[in-house]
Amino acid sequence: MRPVINLYEKGSPSARYHKTAVAVTGIVAVGLLIGVIAGWLASSFRAMQGLASIAPIFYIISALGVSWLGWRWVRLIGAISSVTEFLKQNKSSHIKSSDDVVINELVEAINGRFGGNTSYISELEEQLKDSQLKVQLLRRQKMNADAIIYSIRDAVIVTDELDRLLMANEAAGQLFGFDFKNSQHKGIGELINTDGKEFTNFLRQNRQNKARATRREIELGDARTFDCIASCVYGEEEQVCGVVAVLHDITREKEISQMKNDFVDHVSHELKTPLSSIAAYTEMLLDGEAKDEKTKEEFYSVIQGQTDRLGRLIEDILNVSRIESGLIKVDKKPVSLAVLIEEQLKMIKGYADEKKIRLEDVGKNVVVFGQVYADKDMISQVIVNLLSNAIKYTPSGGSVRVETEVDEIAQVMRVNVTDTGVGIPKDEVEHVFDKFYRVDANKSQAKGTGLGLNLVKQIVEKIHDGRIYVSSEVGVGSTFGFELPLATAKMAGVTSHRESSKSLSEEK
Amino acid sequence: MAAGKVLVVDDEIHIVHVVTIKLRNNGFEVVSAENGADAFEMACKEKPDIIVTDFQMPIMTGLEFVEKLRQNEATEHIPVIMLTARGFAIEDKQKEDLQISEFLSKPFSPKELLRSIEDILHQVAVVQGS
Repeated sequence: MRPVINLYEKGSPSARYHKTAVAVTGIVAVGLLIGVIAGWLASSFRAMQGLASIAPIFYIISALGVSWLGWRWVRLIGAISSVTEFLKQNKSSHIKSSDDVVINELVEAINGRFGGNTSYISELEEQLKDSQLKVQLLRRQKMNADAIIYSIRDAVIVTDELDRLLMANEAAGQLFGFDFKNSQHKGIGELINTDGKEFTNFLRQNRQNKARATRREIELGDARTFDCIASCVYGEEEQVCGVVAVLHDITREKEISQMKNDFVDHVSHELKTPLSSIAAYTEMLLDGEAKDEKTKEEFYSVIQGQTDRLGRLIEDILNVSRIESGLIKVDKKPVSLAVLIEEQLKMIKGYADEKKIRLEDVGKNVVVFGQVYADKDMISQVIVNLLSNAIKYTPSGGSVRVETEVDEIAQVMRVNVTDTGVGIPKDEVEHVFDKFYRVDANKSQAKGTGLGLNLVKQIVEKIHDGRIYVSSEVGVGSTFGFELPLATAKMAGVTSHRESSKSLSEEK
Repeated sequence: MAAGKVLVVDDEIHIVHVVTIKLRNNGFEVVSAENGADAFEMACKEKPDIIVTDFQMPIMTGLEFVEKLRQNEATEHIPVIMLTARGFAIEDKQKEDLQISEFLSKPFSPKELLRSIEDILHQVAVVQGS
């Protein structure tokens, strides 16, 4: 219960002041009474006329008493008003002391009480400011953390000690198919379907084992592999109060790693194969296993052929590697594709004649002036690779036809090389441009590194922003074709040729 | 009388050719095939004493070919030497399961191959003799 103070309690300053005021008031009253009585006696009784001279003295004493009382009251009221104002404003200031004993006591009492509180209030105000700054800082840090979490491409999920979702970024929502705003505080097992069961178990185990950070590769969704790291969040008493999981998609990394291994494996195989022949035939010659001159010549010829094969293979590997790494020097100029085709046809005619294959060049007059913006040597290699492939896989008596046309709508120039060769089985067509891919059924037909068509694709699509395509029927023949943007289109910045030409070529 | 009948299987005709000459010069009878499928038929028909096969071949790989040999009563016992140009080695367990007598890495020495064939056939003869 709060103590009650009696303002006029005995011994209190107010009581003392009250006594003084009563005494002064008494003096005033007595002075007035004496003055009045003295005046009355002087006027009523002649014998007491002498009293008339003392009456004014009492009046004067009374007047002085009244003035003193009035002055004190005015000062007190003023002081009370100031103190009231001070208390209302609650300012951390100090009241100036007074020469009046009573007022001074009041002022000292207030200053004593509020002066102590003022430093406490100042301290509190400082603490409040600090806290406000800390809150601002924490808020900013949270915003920064949120921005980081929401901007990273890795999925981030935070769960509490009961495996309920506390936070998830957009990547996590997309991965597991939930909307965070509507999923907060829901059980993680409920949000993530059975495909992600391994992940939810991983989170749960991590929490149960109180593990600091655990890493595991987990397959999720459409055979995508994620590198998952889960770390427990600890409370003040080291109790686990949640788990933070980050899921990094490593599907592509794994594919690239696999591709690298496959490439090394293929290269190793392709290099070792001719090398095996060279080594074996050389050893046979040295061991005298070639009994006659004819056999010796045959062995030398094989060694020479396999050495050439090895050289071509290394050159092809280097070319593919240079294109892929972007290190190859490209010298693009406006060139006439028809003229390049004519040159390559002349070069390869001997090979075609040897195999009794007819070469046809269709449409060259129409497009002789049609130009593409290309590296002449590279496009020549594309043409010669396609022509030599066509001749290689076409039986004697067949034909190879080269058609050239300008597609002004698509702003491309199109070249088709059609043969009457063995054709490619349907399920293998899509792989013919893959590195080291050779159609099984046609392997015995001709030698090859399995890199020629890949090189063609890289030159057309990667270097020249064109398109390569193939259609084939076993026993009927194949058409390998490519499109390149017209020089005029390239210079004018036409970029839509791919889309429009695609629809045209699909009609073939 | 021939030192034995050898089936040589490889899609590289030069390898088949060089191995054939080496073996024929050393008294062996040689039959050959270009892929695993043809080789299996050949093995059933010719009943070779030993088979030398490549690892990577079209239509049917060397391993698939050996697996098929081991599943067939007439060919399950035939010793096999495998030539490989692959950048990795086959697991020991697979080698054991398929009873592949020896692996030779390409480039290989025809002399070494001949020695291996002779050693294996000798071991077989010793086992059969005992």
